[in-house]
Amino acid sequence: MIAHAPILAIVVPLFAGFLTPVVSIVAKRFGVERARDWFVMGAAILMLLIVASMAPAVWRGEVLVYKLGGWSPPWGIVLAVDGLNLLVALIIASVVSLIAIYSVVYMERDSGLEKYYTLLMLVTAGCMGVTLTGDVFNLFVFFEIMSISSYALVAFRRNWDSVEAGIKYMIIGSLGTSFILLSITLMYGLVGSLNIADLAGKIEAIKATQPLPMIVPLMLTLFVVGFGIKIAMVPLHAWLPDAYQAAPSAVSALLSGATTTVGVYAMLRVSYMLFGALAIGTMFIILGLVTMVVGGLMALTQRDLKRLLAYSSISQMGYILLGVGFGTAMGIQGGLFHLLNNAIYKVLLFMCAGAIVYRVGTSNLDELGGLGKNMPITATLFIVGALAISGVPPFNGFASKWTIYVAGMEAGQPICTAIAVVMSALTLAYFLKAINSMFLGQQPEHLREVREAPLPMLFPMLVLAVFCVVLGILPSLGMDLVRPAQGAVMNQLGYIGSVMGAG
Amino acid sequence: MMEFGPGFWGPIVATAVMLFGVGIAYLLLLASRKYIAPKPSSEKLKTYGCGEEVKSEEMHVDSEQFYSPIRRAFKPFYKYVQPEHSGVLSTYLLWVIAGLIIVLIAVMLALR
Amino acid sequence: MSLNYIIAMLLFTLGIYCLLIKRNIVKMVIGLGVLTNGLHLFLISLGYREGGIAPILAGKMLENGATAEFAAAAVDPIPQALVLTSIVINVCTMALALSLAIYIYRHYGTLNPFKIRRLRG
Repeated sequence: MIAHAPILAIVVPLFAGFLTPVVSIVAKRFGVERARDWFVMGAAILMLLIVASMAPAVWRGEVLVYKLGGWSPPWGIVLAVDGLNLLVALIIASVVSLIAIYSVVYMERDSGLEKYYTLLMLVTAGCMGVTLTGDVFNLFVFFEIMSISSYALVAFRRNWDSVEAGIKYMIIGSLGTSFILLSITLMYGLVGSLNIADLAGKIEAIKATQPLPMIVPLMLTLFVVGFGIKIAMVPLHAWLPDAYQAAPSAVSALLSGATTTVGVYAMLRVSYMLFGALAIGTMFIILGLVTMVVGGLMALTQRDLKRLLAYSSISQMGYILLGVGFGTAMGIQGGLFHLLNNAIYKVLLFMCAGAIVYRVGTSNLDELGGLGKNMPITATLFIVGALAISGVPPFNGFASKWTIYVAGMEAGQPICTAIAVVMSALTLAYFLKAINSMFLGQQPEHLREVREAPLPMLFPMLVLAVFCVVLGILPSLGMDLVRPAQGAVMNQLGYIGSVMGAG
Repeated sequence: MMEFGPGFWGPIVATAVMLFGVGIAYLLLLASRKYIAPKPSSEKLKTYGCGEEVKSEEMHVDSEQFYSPIRRAFKPFYKYVQPEHSGVLSTYLLWVIAGLIIVLIAVMLALR
Repeated sequence: MSLNYIIAMLLFTLGIYCLLIKRNIVKMVIGLGVLTNGLHLFLISLGYREGGIAPILAGKMLENGATAEFAAAAVDPIPQALVLTSIVINVCTMALALSLAIYIYRHYGTLNPFKIRRLRG
């Protein structure tokens, strides 16, 4: 492991974000505009290498605890990396590297690109900060950094739809983070500490006293609602379709791959490990089923490709909540594996949508048609992504969905499995509609000269499609990636012992 | 190999069998072309529009009505829940508060 | 002492009322500001101690024995640090929200959320 790896993984994107305008000005002076893009790509790949270097130690079972400034917990801020953190950090680092390569070509027609790259690096720094930290106020600050940068990225093009989506996302998101701040306030007033491991121990002691003080369910509720807004659980999902539709496609891919993953991680960390409340799994199961159904049924009647993909994202979040809510080892494994797969195929699908928007100019399904002859590679990759998300073997979606179905049957809830299977079929239905409307059928006159997407845009899509196929043919690889994370989620006492014991 | 309860799923074997099946189907297709070479006339390739000339742009299925049977099957959802996604920001904030109350009741019941 | 907490929760509720009921985006943003100010008041009042002194260490207090006495008399500094961070985050949020409101007025001509609904379904 590289020395000081946890803090470097946060510092590298943060400094890269602040240095990007400087690099851009210097590069423009020398006439080499592309240097800024290479700088950002280099920073993202460096961050991926730093995160990957932490992997062997964490997968051996130890929890890496890094004390900032040498102050030991619970008085100082610690960065604690266990299996769950590492899985999410790997997902974020890979997704951001691929999106950095993709946006070099996709965003080249926009102006003000140094601000775009700065915001991209700030979102990454925020995501990494939320993932790797062991202190709840630090989590709030990095969560705000991530959220505010993503509000600005959604409204980046300043068209009428970007601004409308941006203001809606912003106001709903700010309400969510103020709920999180209120909950942290109540927690500090009750217990007097801000370290996650310390809080976990003290709240366990409070929960053992009967009757339970009213404030503990209130704190947990505020956290669940605050993070639920970020992951689009059902009554709190209204901002997502507008934001994904109006943002540039690279930003939609970033939001769906990185920020929703971080939201699920934060929800798991706070409800299962800080509060130790595996009992709210039932609520997650019910809300997960409702989310799945609402997302799927709304996606059946959409006219716009990116809005359809957005509702499909909401539906996949329902699967993850369903898997995680079961509480059994197989359920949590299925949920986390589905989280990994969702990042892979959702980013692939949004990148394909971006390729079509880049070449044709519109994402309205009624105006496209017959593009399969002109863009064969994009069509094949989109079909791979669509089959993977619907759970068709031999792609990776099948392995994770099958694990969730079996977890449902073993936990004694066959109704959940039945609803999940029906929604899987409906997922395939609306994706077949999208494929038919875009790639098959007759080609209108004005689309005859559309060319294939450029190679730097195809390269990240190919990498993701290869991952789809590989994780589908060898699901044991995915399970090996996910098993340390699942072990970490169910091992609350080990986490507390490792973090407090290191001080 | 994934083992679940009474069954198992061997992804490599399954993929090999699927590719084998696709290969056999393609061989059958090639074999059929030996007897009847597909050479349809341009009249056969065009869509029949009751005698009228139909342009390619109009030959597109409307994406909202594509699944009207499924819409009819799930009619309560499409009558009540879909219009609620009206695009008004204040309604969305009301949902957030409603979600807060629902989650509060659920957590209080679970954490008793 | 509990007067602080009651007023903080009152501000929080007023902020949520503003967000839900007002028909102007700038008023909603002001409501967001009132909401976060209520939270800041709540957080600072948590650390207060009756008759406490400001938590700033001066020269004489670093001698033996005097530090413990200082710690027993000082107000808690952690909530003050949290509130400073949160005020800065809040300023950033309000700046971004108001600039988005300016763009919305340019494109739509109105600031009524009931009329800004071209993206729906």
